[in-house]
This record gives sequence, structure tokens and C-alpha cells, in this order.
Amino acid sequence: MELLTAVSIGLLFATGIFQLLRRNVIRSAMGLMILANGVNLFLLTTGAYDGTSAAYTTEAGVHSDALPQALILTAIVISMGGTAFVLSMLYIISARYQTADMDEVDNLKH
Amino acid sequence: MIETSSLLLPLIILALASVAAALFGIPSLNKRLTITQVCWLLALAPLAALILILRLVPALNEDAIFVWTWAWLPSLGINLGLYVDSLSALFAIIVTFIGILVVVYAGQYFKGDQDAWRFMAYLLLFMTSMLGVVMAGDVLTLFIFWEGTSILSFLLVAYKTQSEEARYGAFRALFITGGGGIALLAGLLFVSSVAGGTDFATILSSGDVLRSNEFYWVMLALVAFGAFTKSAQFPAHIWLPGAMSAPTPASAYLHSATMVKAGIYLMARMNPALGFTEEWFWLLTLTGGVTMILGAYLGFKQNDWKALLAYSTISQLGILMILIGQDIPEAYKALVIGVVAHALYKSALFMVAGIIDHETGTRDIRRLGGLRKVMPFTFFAGTLAALSMAGLPPMFGFLAKETLLATAVHPSLPPLLSEVFRWGAVLAGALMLAMAVMVIWETFMGKPKDDSVHGHEAPWPMWLAPAIPAVLSLYLAIAPGFKDEAELMTGAAQAAFGDSEKVKVYFQLFHGLTVELMLSIGAITLGTLIFVFRRPIRTQMDKILPNASFNALYRWVLAGIDKGAFWATRVQKGQLRTYLVVMLTAVILLVVGLSPSLFLLGWAEISLPDLSYQGEIVVLQIFATLLVVGASAASVFLRRDFNAIMAFTASGLAVALLFVLAPAPDVALVQIVVDILALVILMLALSRLPRKQRRAAQELTIAVRKRRKIPMPDLLVSAAFGLMITAITFANLSQRPHVTITPYYEQFAKSMTGATDIVGAIVVDFRALDTLLEISVFAMAGLGISMLLFHSAQKHGDEGSQMDDPLGTKPSKFATFGIGGVRESAFIRVPSYVTLPLAIVLAITQIMYGHDQPGDGFTAGVIISLAIALWYMVFGYQETRKRLPWLRSSRLIGYGVLLAIVTGAVAALMTGSFLGNVDFTASWHFMPKGFHISSSFLFEVAICLTVLGSVAHMLNTLGHPRER
Repeated sequence: MELLTAVSIGLLFATGIFQLLRRNVIRSAMGLMILANGVNLFLLTTGAYDGTSAAYTTEAGVHSDALPQALILTAIVISMGGTAFVLSMLYIISARYQTADMDEVDNLKH
Repeated sequence: MIETSSLLLPLIILALASVAAALFGIPSLNKRLTITQVCWLLALAPLAALILILRLVPALNEDAIFVWTWAWLPSLGINLGLYVDSLSALFAIIVTFIGILVVVYAGQYFKGDQDAWRFMAYLLLFMTSMLGVVMAGDVLTLFIFWEGTSILSFLLVAYKTQSEEARYGAFRALFITGGGGIALLAGLLFVSSVAGGTDFATILSSGDVLRSNEFYWVMLALVAFGAFTKSAQFPAHIWLPGAMSAPTPASAYLHSATMVKAGIYLMARMNPALGFTEEWFWLLTLTGGVTMILGAYLGFKQNDWKALLAYSTISQLGILMILIGQDIPEAYKALVIGVVAHALYKSALFMVAGIIDHETGTRDIRRLGGLRKVMPFTFFAGTLAALSMAGLPPMFGFLAKETLLATAVHPSLPPLLSEVFRWGAVLAGALMLAMAVMVIWETFMGKPKDDSVHGHEAPWPMWLAPAIPAVLSLYLAIAPGFKDEAELMTGAAQAAFGDSEKVKVYFQLFHGLTVELMLSIGAITLGTLIFVFRRPIRTQMDKILPNASFNALYRWVLAGIDKGAFWATRVQKGQLRTYLVVMLTAVILLVVGLSPSLFLLGWAEISLPDLSYQGEIVVLQIFATLLVVGASAASVFLRRDFNAIMAFTASGLAVALLFVLAPAPDVALVQIVVDILALVILMLALSRLPRKQRRAAQELTIAVRKRRKIPMPDLLVSAAFGLMITAITFANLSQRPHVTITPYYEQFAKSMTGATDIVGAIVVDFRALDTLLEISVFAMAGLGISMLLFHSAQKHGDEGSQMDDPLGTKPSKFATFGIGGVRESAFIRVPSYVTLPLAIVLAITQIMYGHDQPGDGFTAGVIISLAIALWYMVFGYQETRKRLPWLRSSRLIGYGVLLAIVTGAVAALMTGSFLGNVDFTASWHFMPKGFHISSSFLFEVAICLTVLGSVAHMLNTLGHPRER
């Protein structure tokens, strides 16, 4: 199971980065969000131990590690904000350069 | 070692004096006092500093060392420190003593120029820095002050900001000394890391460790480079003549007596730690030797008083550098005498140059002449100083030269070099003498050469300022009984030599008929000859290499930097995707390169998932995992963007399923709402891209695929990155269980925060500050989007600017119904109406019981926003805004953040920790079960408001439908 998790997270990263590198700006934004998902799952694996019940003091059994969960919560929120911001930037780019093709946006060097 | 904070006092006094000088820039003060009066007052500061330092001298002569340390950044082991021994004190006395004279002199020099307060503020601040350099007890303190002198020198040289030449000279000086400063910092840090401490006491006592280190030469090269640039050693000497465009008081102070001596001081200071090696000897002797000859030679060519003095300073600095390179006690005796003698006569001569310039309007010796009658006092001061510079008895400069020549005849030198060195010293001495006599003779003797030049005597304080050091040059040499001074200089020489027994400094002019004396006589004779035949010699010198200058080297370096920058910018393609590939590759290489062993962990315990039936969760997990991966892969292959977004959202929901199975219900809940929000926002963004552009981009994707051209670099980078993450995750997972602080949270969640939800407790209580920052980031994202799409777009006339009410403060008067003015069917409208109140109820429940159940302020905020998004869809933008007048995004954000901070502050007052947990209703019995108005609850409300405001901003700006 560990290997499967590891491989799937690796695949998520690979897919995300591949999408990020597309010329179509919507795909790039999607790539960023896939990457965020990958990161969140990765954070989950940094837990110190596995648990069988949710991390509530009222629950019986071994709780799942609460710390990475709290970190993921923060990460989700921030990546959501970041993605929304990126999307609005993409919109600005498309409006100003009249294209949704990243490669035509090369005015950064001027 | 005596620990005393009184060492700070001179520095503080000078810094305050600088502030006082700056205050004189206030017009009402400026009108009341003249600059001359102000300078008299300001001169009290260096006087006070001098007195404070002189009070230390008796103890210093008893071999005491004064130190002061203050832990600046204790976590990094960085201290501020001061360290005063005889060597420091000698330099500090020079700095403050010449400082008094220069401040008084500047008052006369700038008479009538009420804006000169700027100069005085710089000068006094420079004095502070310079005093800091010589009193620093720690390499970092030294470096900070060292850079301070470079920067202030820049400001002083470029004081006449209107002058192109001054700006150029100032930049060149800063460029060279600043570059040296960087090398010095590296060198000093290297030295401290080898020595095991940044304070001088440690460094000076670890000379053997430093010298035997295999990187000794690197340290030496770096430190020496810093010192050489500062002390104008060849080939970095070129900045000093250029710096002569500074006002004369600055030249007299910085570029003769103090700043250029910083390098000398540093090398003398470091001698016990880095000196006494072959490398040290050769480096300093050769550099100093070339500088000495070159400075003397070029100096003799000059016609301008200040240029001539600048080159002679370079020559003198070369001599001092040679002396530090030697390993015999006599050299250090010569060093301290040389430093003092040079500071006295050269500052005097510069001030004389300033007087001549001031009173006659020129410094060109070809135009001056016969001034002895009209400027008798200046003539007197100038002559005395020049005699000392010439090294003629009975002046102090003669003593300096004698001791220098004594060094030159020392038998420890290799025979050939010994000869070169000796004759070099004699030649430099002769040229120096010729120069000194020439400049005085041409100016004051003979007849006026240019009728348009008229001189008159300067006011008494102005000529007194150079006269005092000039007279001291004579007095120190002939007056007997300067026991304290001699002892201080002995101490300084000993500190520089690093051995307390061998060096003895005594001021005695006549030692009998020694070799030194013979050489001295030789130098004097040769110098006299050069002086007598100065005209033909100078004509000849102008013929050979008339424009010999090392500025070409400087220009070459600058041009090289420009060219390098040009090529570096050529590499920039300007395409973000290329940069991304480069960055990702770098990340991969760094991670793999730095921790290759990571990729070997865990492979031994590789196992297949256990699919026997007790693990039904495992089956679900495998299903969810495959769904996550498959759906995101589908988002790559699906051609239409809409379908790709759908696939991506499915993948996000599968991630939520994985969270549920973890089990992590809080996270799963947030993941679900965020995933839906992402879907909404992506759709909105998609709808904002013009169809034509989208089609073009889509065709691009398809075209690439049709040509069957696989984007190899992208694929490789993605695959490598994925592999790397796989390896890291696997290593991570196979190392479990590992040590964590979670048990702490588990144990105290209930007792400290009153929450049964441990994750919630961590988010809003244990790590509440994180969460506060997190919602601030989220709020900034919302505000940023609104700014980008309304204001920036408006400025550039983009499409977005056609939208109304930028910050959503006022609903438009023109209400429309639904999208495009068409009412939706009632079957859709009614459920939509109901959704919002329901969502609000749901959100309130989330907030109220978030402490014990999944859900928190964030989900609450997103849930309300999603309901609003539905309203936008059904009722249209205008109607929604009209029906929901309370939906003012920026205000909501403001209230939210404010509430969070106020709650935190109140909690801080009550519990002592910001956002600490306080239950305000603990004693109320009528509260519903499981609900408390606690600080956590208020914080959740704050989060909800902020998130609502921010998401509303996103929806408003991205989602404003173009109702046509």
C-alpha cells in the first residue's frame, strides 16, 4: 500500500507539472491545482503514524495523526487563494496580450 | 581585559553631533547661527571623544585592554563588540584629534554656505564610523563601520552633486572600496570560523591555527584585498586621486589622515593572527613597494596641490604597507611613527592646500607664486609640514624615514631584494622630498606667475588648524620627555607586532653615524638634486608615458561587468515555461544531489497491499487512489477545457474520499467545499477568456498532439519530478512511526482549548497565529484579484474596466432580472432562494459546533459563498447585488480581520497569550449544550467573515457575467 500511495502521489505531481507546462493558460492553472492536491496528499503521508479513527478526543481507538491534517487545512486554504489569484492574472494576461497561449506572452524580457 | 561600556561613549557623542549637524538643516535654526559658529560647537564632540580616549591611555600603558560586548543576535552567535588596546587608541587619537581641527577648519572653509550642514553631518557620521573601525572588537562590528566609512566617503566626495567629475570620482571610490569590503567580509568570516570566534581576542590568539590552515592563503588574499582597496594600494590606488574632488576638509580628513589608514590599521591589527609568513611578507612588500614607487613617481608629475598630495599619500601608504609586511620589531616602530607623522603633516598640507584654493582661487602650482608675503602664517604652517614630509631633520617625518631606512637595511631580507628595497626606499624618499620642497617653493617663493591670482591671509582659525599639526611635527621630534606618548606608541607597535617585549619606540633624532643615516643623507642629496633639476625632469616625465594611468583597468572591469550583464540577459528568453523547466530541473538536481541516500530508503520492506477481506478500507483506498490519478490524467488528455475541468474536479473529490478514509473528516469537508469552489472559479475564469482565444489555445493542444510530437523536455521534467516525489514519499512512509508532537496536542486539546476536535484545536487554538496569517493571505488574494481586475485593468483600458462598482460597495440602480433580463423559471428560482438561508444556517452550525465536530469557520464562509454563487447564476449579478445589500466584500474582510485581532488581543489580556483560549460564557448556565461563546468561537466567526468577503471578491470580479 505504501508503494501505491507513493507512486500515485508521484503521478499526481508529474501530471500537475506536465499540465503546468502547457501553453494553454487554463491547463496551466489546472496543473497548479493538481499539484496542490498532490502536495496535500503528500502532507498526509508525513503523519507520524496511521490511525483507524478520526482525531477526536471522544473517539475510541488509535487516532489518525492530527498535526498533518491541520497543516493540510492551512495548505488547502492558501492554495485555493493562490489559485484564484493566478487565475485572475491569467485573465489579465489574456486580456492584455489577446491570447491564451503562454508562449506568446514573452514580453517579460522587455 | 577590562569590560567597560564607557567605550561606547565617544561613538555616541560623535553620532549625536552628526544628528545635531543635520538638525541645523531646519530653517529656523539655520537662520539663527552661522555655519562657522555651528562648527565651533560641533568641534566639541571630537574634543570630548579625544578626552575620553586619552583617559584610557595611562591604563593602556600598563598593558590593559578595554573591551565591551553586547549580544546582538545571540541565536546566531553574533555580537557587537569594541576592543581598545594601544594600537586602537593610537588610531582613535589620530581620528579624533585631526577631527577637531578639521571640523573647525570646515567652519571657516564653508563660511557663508549655510547649506554646509549636510557636509558636517556626513563628516561627523564618518568620524563615528572611522572611530568604530579602529575601536571594533569583533569582525562584524568592524565590517559594519568599515562599510560605513566607504558609504560616507562616497557622500562626501560627491558632496558637490552638480559636478560630474565629483560624482564619477565618488562612484569609483565606492565601487573599489565597496568591492574590497565584500572580500573583506568573506575573509573575516573565514578567519573567524577557523579561529572559532568573531572577537579579536579569540582571533589574535589563534594565529598558529590560522597560519597552519590549508586555506590560509585564501583568508590572507581576501583580507588583504579589502585592506589594499581601502588603503589605495596598487592597482586599486586609482580611486584616491579621483576622490580629490571632495571639499578640502574631507580630503584632509578622509583621504590623508583617517580612512585610507583603515587598511593599514586592519593589516596591523591582523598581523599577529595572519602575519609572519612568507606569503604575508611577499604580498605586502611587493604591493607596498610598487605603490610606494608609483605614487612618488606620479606625484612628482602633478601640478595640482591636491593631486600631488594624493599621490604622495599613496606612496606613503605603500611604505606603511611594506612595514607591516616585515617580521622585525624595527618595522613596527617605523610603522607607528610613520602613521602619526603622516597623519600630522599630510592633514596640515591638505588644509594649507584648501586655504590657498580658498584665498587665491587656484591650486595650480604653475599659476601660484610669491605668496609668502601675503600669507605668512599659511606659509609657516605649510613649510613646517612640508619639511616633515620631506623627511628632513629635525622634523618628525625625519624620524619616520630614519626608522623606515633602518628596516630597509635589515639583514633578514634576501640579498637582491634587500638592494632593490633599499634603493626603492631612497628613491621614493628623494622624490617625496623633491615634491614637498617643490610645492612649497613654487607656491610661496619667487614671484607671482599669474597676475590674475591674488592672495590674502586666511582668518586665524583657518591657518591655525594646519599650524597645530605642523608644529606638533616639529615638537614631537625635538622636545624631550614625551613619556606617555612614546609608551602609547610602543604599546601600539607591540600590539601590531604581536610580541610585547621586542619593540621599543623612542624619539631620538641622532643615533650616531649609522647606515640609515648615510642612506638618509643619500636620499636628501638625491631629492635636492631632483628638486633643483625639477623642470627638465618633469618635462621628461611628461614625455614618457604622458597618460600613464591605471584607470584603463578600472574601465575595463566596468565594461566587463556591463558585457557580462548583457550576456546574462540574453539567456533570458522571457517565456515563463522555460523558466519553470529550469527551476524544476534545479530543484530535482539539488534534492537528488544533496541527499542521494533518500532514494534507497524503504525498498527492502516493499509489500503489496493486503487485499484479504478484513481490509475493506484498503479496497476503497485503492479505488480512490486510482480515481485521483486517473481523473487528473484524464484532465491532460481531454481535449475540451470544460471536460478537463470536470475531470480535475472529480480528482479533487477523490482526494476528499482519501481524506475520509485516512480518516480525516475535517480535511475531507474542507477539500469538498474547496473543490466545488475551485470548479466554480475555474468555470468563471474559463467564461472570461474570449472564445476565440480559447479555441486558438485548444487547437494548439490538439495540433501538438496531431503531429505526434511529444513535448520531450516537459515530459522528462515531469517524470523526473514525479519519481523524486515518489521516492521521498516512499522513504517517508516506510520510516513510520516516527517521533512527533501530536501526542501533546492529543493530551491537552480538551483541557486547554475545550475542543474535542483535535484538528480544530490545532487550527484555531494551538496554532491560531498560523490561521490568522492564513486568512490574511486568503483575504489578500481576494483583495488582490479585485485590484488586478478592476483597477489595473482600468488603467490599461482592458475589458475588465467596463465593469461597475469596483469594490462592490454600492449596488447599481439599474436592476435587471436574471441573466440578460430574462427571469429564470420559478422551479429554479425558489430552490435558489431557499439555498442561501439554508447555507447560512448550516454555516452557523458549523461555527458553533466546529470545536467538537468537523467543520470550521472556513467551510462556513465557503458554503455561504457557494450559495451566493448560485444566486449569481440564477438571478444575475445586478439582482443579486440588489437583494443582498450586506454583501460588501472589502468590509466583510475588514470586519473579519479586525474581529480576529480584537479577539486575539482580548485573549492576550486575559490569558497572556495572543489568541489564547478564553471561554467568555463558562459560568452561563442557559447556553445550549456544547456551545460556548469562547475566543475560539469568535475567531471562527472572524475566519468565516474574512473568507466570505474574499470569496465574494473572487466571484464578483471573476464572475461578473457580461450581460449583453
